[in-house]
Amino acid sequence: MPLTPAEVWRAIQQQRTGQGGRRLDTGTRVECQWCRSQNAPDARSCFTCGAPLDIRNLVSDSGWREAPRLRDMTEIHFGRSTCQVEGEIVPVAEIALGAGDWVYFEHHVMLWKDESAAMSVMPLSGGMKRAFAGMPFIITIAQGPGRIAFSRDATGELVVLPLHPGVELDVREHAFLLASHSVGYSYVRIKGLKNILFGGQGMFMDRFVAGSEQGLLILHGYGNVFERMLQPGESILLEPGAFLYKDASVTMQVETQRLTSGLFGGSGMNLARMTGPGRIGIQSMYVHHHTED
Amino acid sequence: MSGTYTCRWCRMSTDAPTLVSCPTCGAPVDVRDRVSDSGWYELPAIPDMARLQFGRSYCQIEGTYVPVADFNLTGDDGVYFTHHLLLWKDAGVTINPMALRGGWSRMFAGLPLLMTQAHGPGHIAFSRDAPGEVVPVPLQRGMSVDVREHIFMVATNQVQYDWFNTGVWFQTRDGDDTETHYPLGMYMDRFSAPGAHGLLILHAHGNAFVRQLAPGETLLIKPTALLFKDSTVQMHLHFEHPAGTWRSWRSWGERFVWLRLTGPGRVSVHSAYDKFEDPGNALSGSSPATRWQWQG
Repeated sequence: MPLTPAEVWRAIQQQRTGQGGRRLDTGTRVECQWCRSQNAPDARSCFTCGAPLDIRNLVSDSGWREAPRLRDMTEIHFGRSTCQVEGEIVPVAEIALGAGDWVYFEHHVMLWKDESAAMSVMPLSGGMKRAFAGMPFIITIAQGPGRIAFSRDATGELVVLPLHPGVELDVREHAFLLASHSVGYSYVRIKGLKNILFGGQGMFMDRFVAGSEQGLLILHGYGNVFERMLQPGESILLEPGAFLYKDASVTMQVETQRLTSGLFGGSGMNLARMTGPGRIGIQSMYVHHHTED
Repeated sequence: MSGTYTCRWCRMSTDAPTLVSCPTCGAPVDVRDRVSDSGWYELPAIPDMARLQFGRSYCQIEGTYVPVADFNLTGDDGVYFTHHLLLWKDAGVTINPMALRGGWSRMFAGLPLLMTQAHGPGHIAFSRDAPGEVVPVPLQRGMSVDVREHIFMVATNQVQYDWFNTGVWFQTRDGDDTETHYPLGMYMDRFSAPGAHGLLILHAHGNAFVRQLAPGETLLIKPTALLFKDSTVQMHLHFEHPAGTWRSWRSWGERFVWLRLTGPGRVSVHSAYDKFEDPGNALSGSSPATRWQWQG
């Protein structure tokens, strides 16, 4: 009798964590090209990130991979919970939290919730610094069982990033929608005055770290989202407002190019040089940050 | 498909026997044309990752909500663009300012003071920070189009850039104060291809539509909805007063400010236009205009 996608996924997780489980041969699984999770061969979308498995990847000639366009009502699974993605222009992430599971999120992204989903506040260090830097002062926790839904107030895409154990990801402030309980949250200070003033990130970036257990991180990108893998030493210049996320191993340094127009002075164009190794994610409807006009 | 294919959007012909999308503007060839009963042709959604060829280089359109125009520049090919549209570039692509005439006038009119040009080899990508469509407008030799300000994204070096005073304005009076309004903006961009075929790329807010006006045919549009027009299309203001408002056109009253376009030529509009703030005060003057008061 063929296994259901949930049974295949559970068996793969048990094998990965050394808990035994049913043995699967390579013919019974298909790897998701977005998050590298294993899935049942007849699955239409990835059990872990929701990426369609039956359509080809969209990769530009320059190497940018488009974030998977999640089908309306796609389900994503983590722990004892599921996330259903609803809508396409401003998608909603609706979480059905299982008992004992919890997610955390920024203050203004909650759309609706069941009365049964308990709410609390995550203790954060450096509250004054966060308030000063314009970062969210409060991170809220919602605990299952119960349903809760999130969306950001702009056209764009949900970027579902299952974090494998040990992965560290830096995310521009206010791009994070929610994370599951197994993802650790902290923030990193951006170094260098120029990077702070013209880097488009402010003083801090959110940092998400997966511990020993795989976790789920969902971001909201404005417009379309693209990802590219940089080789060690490879660099690319970005509009700072387009930056969405990067592996912690990728470095960022703002450079200014002076553009003059004779009597009228001119302007400086600030671009962020991102240097690998690691992946970077960008959004096409970027937040423009002022240059030296 | 065999023989020559002529694109319904850009009208360029190609001999390629099997096409998925037009190699010049990216419009898909395998979908039914969407033409409204009134004659508006909807820009077909450009297939994700479609390539538009120009010279030895090409442009790839990526994404759908806020699409990115990703240029792969080779050899001597180059592009120019306005300041805040650059999304990313390879480190090897050089950028430098492009000289523009009339700096004071542009600064006064709120037009970008700087145009930046980029040269390959390498990739450089552009996007505008608003949902909409990338609108490729291939310009055949001798063609010229007028584009409303802040619509232009990027053009290849074969396209010549100029700008002109729209000559479309009206004045209102409030007590002793007279205010001049420019529903289209004070200036418009003009792009032409005097020597060789070139590629112009615009960004439409929302959806883009195009319509062909016959010689002498007229059309009223919201001034801020204008995306581009052929330079042969003439334009002037038209004021319309609904029935039940003040009868005199010089008095205060509810009024609609229209742009009348007269063919021959193409006219293109976008569906998510800016709101034009008409204070509604009495008119004290205008560029050549017509008016109409509906009777109750």
